[in-house]
Amino acid sequence: MARVGVIGIGHGQFGRRTDATVQELAFEAYREALRDAGITPDAIDASVIGSVPEYHKQRSLAGVVQEYLALNPKATWLTEVACASGSAAVRTAWMAIRSGLHDVVAVIGCQKMTELTTAEILALMGRVGEVQWESVFGTTFPGYYAMFARRHMHEFGTTREHLSLVAVKNHYYGARNDKALFRKEITVEKASASDPVASPFLVYDCCANADGAACLILASEERAKATSDRVVWLDGIGCASSSMSVLRRPDLTSLPSAVLASRQAYRMAGITAGDVKVAEVHDCFTIAEIMAYEDLGFCEKGQGGPFIAERQSYIGGATPVNVDGGLKAKGHPIGATGVSMAYEIVRQLRGECGERQVPGADVGLTHNVGGIGQYCFVNVYRRD
Amino acid sequence: MDLGLAGEAALVTGGSRGIGAAVVVALARQGCDVAFTYHGRADAAEAVAVKVRALGRRAMAIKADVASFADAEKTVTTVVRDLGRLDILVCNAGITWDGVIWKMTEKQWDTVIETNLKGYFNYNRAVAGIFKDQRSGKIVNVSSINGLRGKFAQSNYSASKAGNIALTKALARELGKFNVNVNCVAPGMVMTEMAESIPPEFLNAAVKETVLGRIAAPEDVANVIAFLCSDASRHVTGEVVKVDGGQYI
Amino acid sequence: MFQWFGKVSYCPHTKVSEFADHLKGGRIMASRCAECGFMSFPPRADCPKCLGGEFEFRELCGRGTVVTYTRIDAAPAGFEDVAPYTVGVVDLEETGRLLAWFGPSIPEDRIRIGMPIQVVPRLFEELEEIKVYYSLEQPGTVWGKEPETRPAGGAERGK
Repeated sequence: MARVGVIGIGHGQFGRRTDATVQELAFEAYREALRDAGITPDAIDASVIGSVPEYHKQRSLAGVVQEYLALNPKATWLTEVACASGSAAVRTAWMAIRSGLHDVVAVIGCQKMTELTTAEILALMGRVGEVQWESVFGTTFPGYYAMFARRHMHEFGTTREHLSLVAVKNHYYGARNDKALFRKEITVEKASASDPVASPFLVYDCCANADGAACLILASEERAKATSDRVVWLDGIGCASSSMSVLRRPDLTSLPSAVLASRQAYRMAGITAGDVKVAEVHDCFTIAEIMAYEDLGFCEKGQGGPFIAERQSYIGGATPVNVDGGLKAKGHPIGATGVSMAYEIVRQLRGECGERQVPGADVGLTHNVGGIGQYCFVNVYRRD
Repeated sequence: MDLGLAGEAALVTGGSRGIGAAVVVALARQGCDVAFTYHGRADAAEAVAVKVRALGRRAMAIKADVASFADAEKTVTTVVRDLGRLDILVCNAGITWDGVIWKMTEKQWDTVIETNLKGYFNYNRAVAGIFKDQRSGKIVNVSSINGLRGKFAQSNYSASKAGNIALTKALARELGKFNVNVNCVAPGMVMTEMAESIPPEFLNAAVKETVLGRIAAPEDVANVIAFLCSDASRHVTGEVVKVDGGQYI
Repeated sequence: MFQWFGKVSYCPHTKVSEFADHLKGGRIMASRCAECGFMSFPPRADCPKCLGGEFEFRELCGRGTVVTYTRIDAAPAGFEDVAPYTVGVVDLEETGRLLAWFGPSIPEDRIRIGMPIQVVPRLFEELEEIKVYYSLEQPGTVWGKEPETRPAGGAERGK
């Protein structure tokens, strides 16, 4: 069956971008991706925008982005699945190409989160959970993952230090990524002594809201080969869902959607977890990365704590994870994150990551979670 | 008429005479065990208790000064302990000490307010927590049409009775969500011992302004109170029901 | 009156709105599918098993076991005045799971995964408006329930 390839990538600066609108952020990544692909805008058949609308004052965001990218009258649409919106855009672009409808599609993940006032952010915070039975008790996003963490600690002996070690690793690599929001290394002591957020989480267990954008140019196998000699192929895609309500999840130490999505992606790509040389996982909170090690099969269930303690997710370990700093150090512009993960994997597979390069990286994976696992998208990329 | 009160327990303040005594008997007739306070007349109190027992219900006559906050707490605790429950409070104990205001002493004012208004607060407060926690209860406060219209030479009494009405309305708002009804009755002239001391010309004047052309018997008021203590009136709260034969329309 | 449920109500309209009326009366209700008997907590009007749309409420005893918990220091809008607070997820003895605050009978330092608790219907007592919720308390905690009264004539419970 015909493959879908990445022929161009672009990534804007993540951070508190008080200098730019969301469409201006999108343009930074788009321009870089077109130049990277060596194509002009007329080669683009359609665009898919991954973003979460409630953060923007502009309603129907795809319209304003499409206009600013000067892509009218090409087809465009928006995908939204919370923090996995960027990966949903990748998936629908892949579908559009595989169906034969389009040959070259621009995927743009973009998000402006810092325009909201503190009051607006606090109000949005109150509605991340299932609003009928859970949000009425003031649940928060960190609160849910904190409850996963508490359960994980109870069942498997995962420790407070394990959590901090994830943050330390991701800050270590973030310090070496010029697109990251936080570019400072931290120590376990510092991570373990920060202010409480939702027990057992402290500030350093949580990623930060950010503004930013990332872009991929996806193309059909024929067009990709004709355009580029360094194509990275999107050979396996998986997507699954889990209940909105935490009350309908029998196991609170795993995201069932991640387990399912990864198995789908492995099967489609014809690989196993052991074949993954570098991975980008959704570390919105430190426990989320530990759960991802297990859900993706990088280690046995319950062994995520020892996995980080033994530095198996560092470069040189069994499966290097988030060696760009992850959400933790890069910042998490929620619509852009899934595309940003793909950007990093493509660079790793092309061997362009300098001191953060994973040697011999030929198969890479992205694991992008929406909400508390209501949605999970796992994609497998390969370099021939 | 069966109001469905069988097996419930009630507390009535000022239950030895007049309207209070009639309420005690009316509630006992409906099947309630009844505790009541009295102030001076132990013999009258005992006579009322005998009537209750004759109806096959338990009676408790408790000597208490309703103006005493501590007495109220103690009385309610004792009643709940001895009767095993409390479902109904009727605040009725009241006094008059008349005089035009320019001759009214501070003591005259304070005594009436402390008995008639603070006395109601004391007992309303003492049962509120219980009724709140058990998600049920009925409070009926006995006011007067003079708390609605004011009466010559009764600035103290009228003020206290108006205070009963406002207390009732505020408490109805506080306790409604706990399934507790709080209401007021406002009697006109009732033939009680209090009325017996009134000169005949005043009684005649009262009859004259009453459209039904008579003075109420205590039972006329007690029947309405019993209704307000029952679930037959479960959708009435914060209300003032005049029981005055049309004396003040 | 589902807008009664919760300190902040996000969801005023639901087919299971009488849940809040029952909670105000001191009763925690699950749903039971009238066709196949499927029980659910939180209650749901439509049966995921047989797709039936008829259900009835069944009162739960409210006993359960703590599955996990967290103390929330950074609170969202509408909850700042009660922060910090500790929420727990509880496995209910009869059916389903529930999320709620730990109440005053269980201090934070005594909370453990696996501990038994009693879910207790609550009102925000010092607010004038009606707001109901439930809290996690010591086993054996007792509370009042409204009598199931009906007006003479036997009409259905008023909405």
